[in-house]
Amino acid sequence: MSLEQPQRPDVGVTPDGELNYDELAELLDGHVIDREQHENAEGFVIRPDEVSTVLQTLKQEAGFDHLSLVTSQEYQDRYESIYHLKKYKDPTQELSLVVPTTRDDPVSQSAASVFDTADWHEREAYDLVGIEYEDHPDLRRILLPETWQGHPLSKDYNQDQPQIVPLREHADPMEHRTEVPEEQDTMFINIGPHHPATHGVLHLKTVLDGEQVVDVDPDVGYLHRCEEQMCQQSTYRHQIMPYPDRWDYISAGMLNEWSYARAAEDLADVDVPDYAQIIRTMSAEMSRIAAHLLAVGTFALDIYGDFTAIFMYAITDREKVQNLLEDLSGQRLMFNYFRLGGVAWDLPEPRAEFFENVRSFCEYIPERLEEYHNLLTSNELFQSRVIDTGVLPTDVAKDYGATGPVARGSGVDYDLRRDDPYGYYDELEFDVITDDGCDNFSRAYVRLEEMRQSARIIEQCVDLLEDWPEDERDIQANVPRTLKPEPDTEVYRAVEGAKGELGIYIRSDGTDKPARFKIRSPSYCNLQTLEVMAEGEYVPDMVAALGSLDIVLGEVDR
Amino acid sequence: MTLLPQKIADVIGIDSVFVDIFAAIIGAGLVGTLILIQSALAGPWAKRKITAAFTDRISVNKFGPLGVGIIIPDAVRLISKELIVPEGVDRPAWDIAPIILASSALLGFAVIPMGSLGPVNFQLADPEVGLVFVFAVASIASIALVMAGYASNNKYSFLGGLRAVAQNLAYEIPLIVVGISVVLFSGSLRTSEIVAAQQETLFELGPLAIPSWFAILNPFAFFLFLVANMAEVGRNPFDIPEAPTEIVAGHQTEYSSVYFVLLYLGEFVHIFLGGAIVATVFLGGPAGPVLPGLVWFLIKIWAMFLLTQWLRSAVPRVRIDQLIEIGWKGLLVLAFFNLFLTAGLVGVFAA
Repeated sequence: MSLEQPQRPDVGVTPDGELNYDELAELLDGHVIDREQHENAEGFVIRPDEVSTVLQTLKQEAGFDHLSLVTSQEYQDRYESIYHLKKYKDPTQELSLVVPTTRDDPVSQSAASVFDTADWHEREAYDLVGIEYEDHPDLRRILLPETWQGHPLSKDYNQDQPQIVPLREHADPMEHRTEVPEEQDTMFINIGPHHPATHGVLHLKTVLDGEQVVDVDPDVGYLHRCEEQMCQQSTYRHQIMPYPDRWDYISAGMLNEWSYARAAEDLADVDVPDYAQIIRTMSAEMSRIAAHLLAVGTFALDIYGDFTAIFMYAITDREKVQNLLEDLSGQRLMFNYFRLGGVAWDLPEPRAEFFENVRSFCEYIPERLEEYHNLLTSNELFQSRVIDTGVLPTDVAKDYGATGPVARGSGVDYDLRRDDPYGYYDELEFDVITDDGCDNFSRAYVRLEEMRQSARIIEQCVDLLEDWPEDERDIQANVPRTLKPEPDTEVYRAVEGAKGELGIYIRSDGTDKPARFKIRSPSYCNLQTLEVMAEGEYVPDMVAALGSLDIVLGEVDR
Repeated sequence: MTLLPQKIADVIGIDSVFVDIFAAIIGAGLVGTLILIQSALAGPWAKRKITAAFTDRISVNKFGPLGVGIIIPDAVRLISKELIVPEGVDRPAWDIAPIILASSALLGFAVIPMGSLGPVNFQLADPEVGLVFVFAVASIASIALVMAGYASNNKYSFLGGLRAVAQNLAYEIPLIVVGISVVLFSGSLRTSEIVAAQQETLFELGPLAIPSWFAILNPFAFFLFLVANMAEVGRNPFDIPEAPTEIVAGHQTEYSSVYFVLLYLGEFVHIFLGGAIVATVFLGGPAGPVLPGLVWFLIKIWAMFLLTQWLRSAVPRVRIDQLIEIGWKGLLVLAFFNLFLTAGLVGVFAA
């Protein structure tokens, strides 16, 4: 690293690593027209035509290199886009850029020229809320069909009006045929929405030159279930918690529930008892193992091309961890185990038996990892397929807001469990696995090794839980029956989900339901990188890259 | 040894050209049925059982001993499905392709010496160009794959068809070149003589007489032949023309019902033909102790089938460019090296 320029300290950071918002405002000199106080960070209000200038300055001078999320919402008098900025080296240093636009002319400058990840976030904002972004490279609807009338999260949208789109208004897919120029070397092919390798209903509009991918345009939204809107119509205390299970439904439910729990507990100022935090940590890591096992199994499926040994082994092992989760929560898939302020109930009786089962599982995981390493990572044919294919360079990964194993496989040392500790993680010992390969192999390797770390965490949790005094086993804090946070409190909080940074933005309006509920889905952000990985590669490598991204369409489309 | 049609004609006992033709048809029917029974066992039942064993599962076990009865409902199911003809398919070619695929593989068995069961010798014909005939009819399958891929009016099928051609070109040349090296040993293309040449005892190992099977005589050629054969029958790690996770099902994508059965059947017969060629050329054909020749022959082709299923469970699929590279840069060079080496050795020993 000696060839690089010496590291300049970021502007706006005090020597002890805290953010100095005044200095940041000074840096932006005159661009900041107002300052808001959000629960997680300060919000700088800027003019809609200065977005890219301000973001550029913040990215280069102040080191905000991670655009975590773009939230859009409509107030009575204005539209608002919020750019939630973080730093990859320290995600606790956060800043929100608030960009209001008038109701009559909801046009705002696009951030896509500074952060590639803004592309899809702004398309979603345009699609659902109706803000238009100037200079956006490709402002189309993303979750809803092209023929959709109106923007469903805007105030004047009529929720009761059925969307009747006559067939003649649909784009005729056959029309493309006649428009094809006589002499062309490329072939357009639809991969999905029904295809063995798309892991759900993903549609890849692919242009091939022979066997090589020239261009790929993922078309998402087939599984859009209005999760954000459903959460906005539910009460904080009990009604929202079942929904997170349905985002990343590959048994990562506990992790998803935690994302909502963390944001809502910050919003309502709820302290969670330590005992409950340990149970949360343990169950979340079990979820992570289950999710990673399936990820590795399906990745092998994509490379091997059949329901072969590795997939079946992974499913068999996943069954074991699911049995543990069932003992704990009573459910195998949609756990609904977390509550605001704790968890639903204590560990199952007899406790000793449960601990023994968990312990033997934790000892079993490293043994199995040897088997997976033998079958996958040390298999020469497998290596020749995945090494140096689907390359995602480190800085590109950051620009696209990649997180989780995808980022860590590209050498980005970023894990919210360590960098922005929550739950009981700061008391526990574990390593963050990274790999500099930036290819399909690295991502699979990182997932395999993360399972070992998860097993380590679970073992430590069991040690703590076993010795916990019997009269201090508080599983829930005292949380009022109805939660009504102060009006206009805004919070954005993220946890380390199975696929990456899973964040929730909530704005309250003084009632018992959120005024705006926004999900930062890691799969959604990671999927954007497919274009970078796939272009110029062969079709099988694109399929492998897609498998290594480990997307869950339930989380992408929400 | 009397060939099978001759034997049947002898049993009928009337000396007439019509009886010879009749006997030939009956003989062909017998051999065809024998092979189709193997495929029927392999497709719906053995494949499931073998894969299940590799992946710690149980698989079919309810109907008949070891679940072998599943073949009957499976056959009914496959045949009673609706035959969907997609819009815009190239009709005669699309219909003919499955038939060509299935029959080309079956045709190869005409010259394979399958050993005897009691007084009956299972071999339909024994022309002087036997080995060349087998390779020739086996390659017709590639034409069927291209026809199926091109006529289906589907881009996935099209890609599958193209991949099939690229793959077969890359592997058939090494396959045949390795085959020729065996011919140098036996001095004949006639399959029965290739088998006969392997009956001699190579050396004695205590009470065991090791026969001079070409697999023992030249294990290097045997290995090359196995690899090329795996690509020829399109099985892992070379199942690229189908590649379910990449191009859905390749040339099979648009086929349903009976046509699909024919394509599928053709593939299984092809695996068995591959096994039969390996057995004939390298493993002494139907030779073996105690058991009748036909049984040994079936054991050998089933061993090859088992090998394909084993690889399918354990080995990843290579990419199309890697496959072409292995074929042209690796196998072809090694195949010629093997040919010259064999020629040299045979020349020295003959002198």
